Amino acid sequence: MLELKNIKKSYDGVPVLKNIDLSIADGEIVSILGPSGCGKTTLLNIILGLTDTDSGKILFNGEDITNVPMEKRGFNIVFQDYALFPNLNVYQNITYGLKNKPDLSTKEEVNDLIALLGLQPHLDKKIDQLSGGQKQRVALAKTMVMKPKILLLDEPLSALDGVIKESIKEKIKQIARDYHLTTIIVTHDPEEALTLSDKVLIVNEGCISQYGAPEEIITMPQNAFIKEFILNQLEIKRNNIFALFQQKTTVQAV
Amino acid sequence: MKRKQGLALLLTGLMTVSAFAMTGCSGGSTESADGGASTAAEGEQVIIYSNADDEAIEAMKATLDANGYADQYMFQTFGTSELGGKVLAEGTNIEADLITLSTFYIDSAQEQQNMFQDLNFTYQLLDGSEKTYCAPITSQEGAIIVNTEMLAENNLPMPTCLKDLTDPVYKDMISVTDIQSSSTAWLLIQALVSEYGEDGAKEVLSAIYENAGPHIESSGSAPLKKVRAGEVAVGFGLRQQAVADKAEGLPIDYVDPTEGNFSLTESIAVVDKGNATNPLAQEMAQCIIENGRATLQEYYPNALYEGEVTDSVNASAYPKTFAEPLTVELLEAHQALSESCK
Amino acid sequence: MVIRREKEIKIIYVVTIALFLAFLAVPILRLFGESFLAEEGIGLENYISVLAGKGFGNAFGNSIVISLSSALISTILAFFLAYSIQYTNLASGYKKWIRLLAVLPMLLPTITYGFAIIYSFGKQGLLTKLLGVQLFDIYGFGGLLFGYVIYTLPISFLLILNTMGYIDKKFMIVSRVMGDNGIKTFFQTVFRPLLGTLAASMVQCFFLCFTDYGIPASVGGRYEVIATVLYNEMLGSIPDFQQGAVVAMLMLVPSIVSIALLRYLERYNIRYNKISTVELRKNAARDWFCGIGSAVILIALLSVFLVIFIVPFVQEWPYQTQFTLEHLQAVLQDNSLTMVYRNSIFVAVATAVLGLLITYGAALATARSSIKQKYKAAINSIALITNTIPGMVIGIAYMLIFSGTPLQNTFWLMILCNVVHFFSTPYLMMKNSLEKLNSSWETTASLMGDTWVKTIVRIVTPNMKSTILEVFSYYFVNAMVTVSAVIFIAGARTMVLTTKIKELQYYTKFNEVFVLSLFILGTNLIIKGVLSYMIQRENKKKEKEQ
Repeated sequence: MLELKNIKKSYDGVPVLKNIDLSIADGEIVSILGPSGCGKTTLLNIILGLTDTDSGKILFNGEDITNVPMEKRGFNIVFQDYALFPNLNVYQNITYGLKNKPDLSTKEEVNDLIALLGLQPHLDKKIDQLSGGQKQRVALAKTMVMKPKILLLDEPLSALDGVIKESIKEKIKQIARDYHLTTIIVTHDPEEALTLSDKVLIVNEGCISQYGAPEEIITMPQNAFIKEFILNQLEIKRNNIFALFQQKTTVQAV
Repeated sequence: MKRKQGLALLLTGLMTVSAFAMTGCSGGSTESADGGASTAAEGEQVIIYSNADDEAIEAMKATLDANGYADQYMFQTFGTSELGGKVLAEGTNIEADLITLSTFYIDSAQEQQNMFQDLNFTYQLLDGSEKTYCAPITSQEGAIIVNTEMLAENNLPMPTCLKDLTDPVYKDMISVTDIQSSSTAWLLIQALVSEYGEDGAKEVLSAIYENAGPHIESSGSAPLKKVRAGEVAVGFGLRQQAVADKAEGLPIDYVDPTEGNFSLTESIAVVDKGNATNPLAQEMAQCIIENGRATLQEYYPNALYEGEVTDSVNASAYPKTFAEPLTVELLEAHQALSESCK
Repeated sequence: MVIRREKEIKIIYVVTIALFLAFLAVPILRLFGESFLAEEGIGLENYISVLAGKGFGNAFGNSIVISLSSALISTILAFFLAYSIQYTNLASGYKKWIRLLAVLPMLLPTITYGFAIIYSFGKQGLLTKLLGVQLFDIYGFGGLLFGYVIYTLPISFLLILNTMGYIDKKFMIVSRVMGDNGIKTFFQTVFRPLLGTLAASMVQCFFLCFTDYGIPASVGGRYEVIATVLYNEMLGSIPDFQQGAVVAMLMLVPSIVSIALLRYLERYNIRYNKISTVELRKNAARDWFCGIGSAVILIALLSVFLVIFIVPFVQEWPYQTQFTLEHLQAVLQDNSLTMVYRNSIFVAVATAVLGLLITYGAALATARSSIKQKYKAAINSIALITNTIPGMVIGIAYMLIFSGTPLQNTFWLMILCNVVHFFSTPYLMMKNSLEKLNSSWETTASLMGDTWVKTIVRIVTPNMKSTILEVFSYYFVNAMVTVSAVIFIAGARTMVLTTKIKELQYYTKFNEVFVLSLFILGTNLIIKGVLSYMIQRENKKKEKEQ
């Protein structure tokens, strides 16, 4: 259980996060959704421990970890650009952390992960030879080897195209389920957030706009922002797609 | 992985090379490590700063080597005014233990900075001008030097005096030194001032500079080299160097100007660094004076010490001495005179 | 409650700042103070006496005139060479040679150029003999100009070639389809986008000529420039440190102006989003013109250096011209000269290693740490300042401040002097490369249990290999050829090749001067050759993977 209490953060006097209260249950997938500049990445970095808070508390399983440094929190992150090391090959990247903490994962566990993410054929390749989806899977494997207590994903799908996006989505869900892993995802795409997660946290102008299950967000939007920016967008998309399919059917019917 | 090791290997290699080079060639840097540049470590080389010409350096080296001081000293050469300036400016902070330099500079430095030790030995000069803190190593005379081939090729007359060099036929064909940087030029200016007075000297010098154009050199030996290389036909330089060139069969000849052959001495002195003074410095100074004069006289034939004689080929026709004592102040005055002629 | 402490980077930052405080700020401020010290206390007395002297005004004016002329000529020639490479269909092998030969002079000290010019174009010079006439008066404007052009052409060439590579050639097609004629196309799509760079090249060349000591020291003659005035004030027959300090301060003024101009001009560079390669229009006349023109420029430029290979290998230039190895052997057997060579190698390697560590550390602090912006700005200003301060000024300042200290006449002082003097370019190279690396590596690696140092060693450094090699090579070559700063601080035990050349020049021992120059050239060629081969292999490997 991760709890954030009264988190505040400003940069050069400009408040970025105003008053964040939040709790996330074990094994949940939570998406942090919001327009760019809303403070969602800052929130992610605060959870990770990369950024300090100005005030407020972070509790993990009841323990105050506000002042625990990043490396000691035991959380881990996959960055938007994956941050893989190009001078090492895929296998060396995946097992990078084991050089420092060899007892963290067994050989079998590593192999299971490689199999789960379908990386077997690529192990000897250099990072620059991989496609975007492959890189994302390597980054996930590399992070999972460290057995994080919470997995943080920064825009995990934004750099991927259509079909690969869906398959990575599935892998993320599968990992969260198989390892009973609390997973926090930052995204700006409502569709992604609502289809991937158990709960969605919508942030706007440094405040929590709404926090709930996807169905709740759709059926009970709490304010104008959510209606206009989140739901409206989805509706346009839905109509376009419906229109597309109807057209197609009509064309075929003729 | 292999690549990374390659780079690491390269860097380690370079580090090793530099470490090797360090121990291989620098007594100097070890002394900085223990914090006292002026602490004379046992067996440290004596550093000798000198403005002397090659021949004099070689003669001094040969003398020191022959007397068991091989590898215990290191020569560093400078232009006369470069070294003179350095000595005046740095005083006892100077790197050198032993200095050979034009005597008037040593006199002025001693007066201003009181930076030289009394010598451990005594000596007798022909003219009776002995000093406690330095002893002369050479005396050098000025003369006109010509390239006989160039004279003939360009149909130029053979000059007989310095005033002849003002003739426009020598335009761009003569080379002299600049008194701003070389004391050889002073031999020329002393001759002109004593013969023609200050105003007359200015007139002659201006015309010589006009003819020399770009060939006003900073080094005393440069005019001879330019005469040798055929860049110019006539130069003013050190007499004994021209004598040697002629003897070697080069198309070089020399003319003693009727205005006079003036001379300057260079002396050796030990820098007083208190307790840090290298004890070998005194020994070497004594060795050079007592054992080196014979070799030095082969190139700088003028007799200085009691018992020495100048041989006939090298005896100049019109030896003269400047009326006033030579000092840095007089040099400054003559430098100003020279500048006004450019 | 700082969570990420970044202790190591803060230590590096403090060390870097302390180093530049001690070896840049304090010496320069001391020099500044010295210039106001007069016999009657503190005041402008020295400035008045320097400015009133006719010699100074004359030299200052001369310096400006000749630096401007050299800058203009260099830039025009460099443009021509770069154009031949980027905009003609000359054979690629030929282009490679142009590229190689145009930068060759960089591997030799400027002090050698002057002697090479004397022995090439003097009355008895090699080229004068070959051509039968003396082309120009070498001991004055002509000789200096020629030397400065040789000196600055490579730098201008690299600058222009680089920017030309970033011009989108597709615009040439656009211009042509729009109905422009050849000249208009040229001005619109080549000249106009390059304007900022051409101006920058002028300023850069001006700065280099204005502050160089090597060329006037060797060619000199009756054309006085400010560098020689400065040298004579400090190391002349009757040194006057206060007046020298004034000259040094006044020398700074055009330097600062030119660097300020450079910064300003940066804004005028046109940036294209994308560089497309297009086939160049076939034009045999253009290709022949550029091919021959480039050859002429390079031959004229490099013919000067021919003498370096000839004079030391004949008995006695110009009278006895049979081949001999005597002079070379004499140098090799002369312990004092081989020691000087070892000293030079040591100084160059140590400068390169120390310079590498310092630029790397400084660049890590500015490019990859969360140190506050205003602190980072301090390092960036250091880079800017070191770029504006002429080597002679640094050397003189060191001479004033370290005389009588244990650092006087040591290798360490010379090495530090080089590291500080040449800091700017390699630092910017490091910073740019580090900024391009993925910004999340340190965080990721730290989550994987790495310490910061471990990450730098295991991840960042392996990805910086080609830049590291480039910086090494830059520092090494510059340390080998520099003379303007070290001339003031080298001692008897710490002579390097360039200061030795200056000394040998006084005795007009040109055989030794040229043999030592050959040593410098050879060493630089080997080091540059090996390192560029490694850099190329590194880059090729990267390309292949993508």
